[in-house]
Amino acid sequence: MQRNLLGLLVLLLAGCVLLAGCTGSTPATNGTNQTGLKAKYIIGLDGAYPPYSYAEKDGSFVGFDVDSARWIANKSGFEVEFQAVAWDGIIPALLAKKIDMVYSGMTITPERAAQVSFSKPYLKINQSVAVRSDSTITMDDIMAGKVVIGSQRGTTGEMWVQKELIEKGKMPATNLKSFDNFPLAITALTNKQVDATVYDKPPTVDIIRDKDVKIITEIDTNEQYGIAIRKEDTQLLETMNKGLDMLMKDPYWNELKAKYKLESV
Amino acid sequence: MDQIAFIAEILLPALWGGFVVTLGLIAWTAPFGVLIGAVVAVGRVYGNRPVRFLSRAYVTFFKGCPLLLLLFILYFGLPSIGISLSPFVAAVLGFIFCNSAYDSEYIRGSIRSIKEGQFTAGLALGMTRGQVIRHVILPQAMRRSIPGLVNEFVYLIKYSSLAYMITVIELTGAGKMVATRYFTYNETFFVVGMVYLFLVTLTTIGAHLLERRVAIPS
Repeated sequence: MQRNLLGLLVLLLAGCVLLAGCTGSTPATNGTNQTGLKAKYIIGLDGAYPPYSYAEKDGSFVGFDVDSARWIANKSGFEVEFQAVAWDGIIPALLAKKIDMVYSGMTITPERAAQVSFSKPYLKINQSVAVRSDSTITMDDIMAGKVVIGSQRGTTGEMWVQKELIEKGKMPATNLKSFDNFPLAITALTNKQVDATVYDKPPTVDIIRDKDVKIITEIDTNEQYGIAIRKEDTQLLETMNKGLDMLMKDPYWNELKAKYKLESV
Repeated sequence: MDQIAFIAEILLPALWGGFVVTLGLIAWTAPFGVLIGAVVAVGRVYGNRPVRFLSRAYVTFFKGCPLLLLLFILYFGLPSIGISLSPFVAAVLGFIFCNSAYDSEYIRGSIRSIKEGQFTAGLALGMTRGQVIRHVILPQAMRRSIPGLVNEFVYLIKYSSLAYMITVIELTGAGKMVATRYFTYNETFFVVGMVYLFLVTLTTIGAHLLERRVAIPS
């Protein structure tokens, strides 16, 4: 018995050492320049979130937010590196310093703002409801809770369904199907595994462009996108706010909007 | 407060539904996993050439295919050829394929460990091949497979969490939803982990009892 216990202890210890070896990741960034900023920041994003942030065929990231971030970094004198993170784990990744900011169409919500700081808002958006082109589903059916809805885990679209439909008792919780990213939800929609999706409007418009899917309603949630930064990184927050100011006054802002078909937003 | 209240009032009720779904996934998968595993194992040892080939192909494919990919194929891929499965059914099917492929290897090993003389003796007593396999070989082989099968069962308890990737809200999925909503990752996943540990412990104790109960006295 004694020996068993000792063996167990040794095993536990070995496990801890191994674990420590695995998690001893390098901090997200290192090195500072004269302004107190680091030389390089890691930006976390949703890798399948057109037109804000998505991967090109060669694996590099592009999009409205990606281009904006590059522009601001360039003007402010630091480098950026982009890293795709699962959306429902992106704030924990930020808090755990795996990334330095989230610049990827993140809606400012009170719940999120309790965890992280947000920059000033840079875009306003609404949610939209999409169905198959041949579908007769209306917004009334959605509000009646009769429709199986697909959304992305951890998004404001999913939160809207939870708050407005499930928590108000209009829809059974089983009618909400949460996917890891939005393209999967759209795949399930065209597969007839869900009958509607609720998601930010501009990405919905982008993703359904070549599919048999139509938008039936826009839900006026009046959300605002902001850049999420750790609360203690006040210097970085200030820099990004200044950067956004500069960018939104620059002609490049409207060029970007035109490039990613966001003029109406 | 807050952590205790959060766990008692929000987390546990939310996890309960997921816990039931996890149990459902396991309950549907495990019996078919063992059954198909036994059939495939017998096929590999005693089958004729085509049967041997087929059972080997089955094991090679499902052991080689990453489970998550298998689930994606079953759920997102099959509709393109007109087969649309519910998330739960797709998950259970994927788990059965994976579980039975591994189970068959444990059972095959046990069959091989039974002395060949027993087979010959059975035939000499006038039993058919099928009868020898059913009444002589398998009862012993299945007993010897118990540690391996329990091992696989324990894996099943844990990989059943992959079902949340195809929208089945089981234990991990339910936990993730709460964690994302309330930003309580540490508390949530600690509790979720304890529940899995509880299930695994229960299984281990049950397996021990089962092994003692069905042991051949000698």
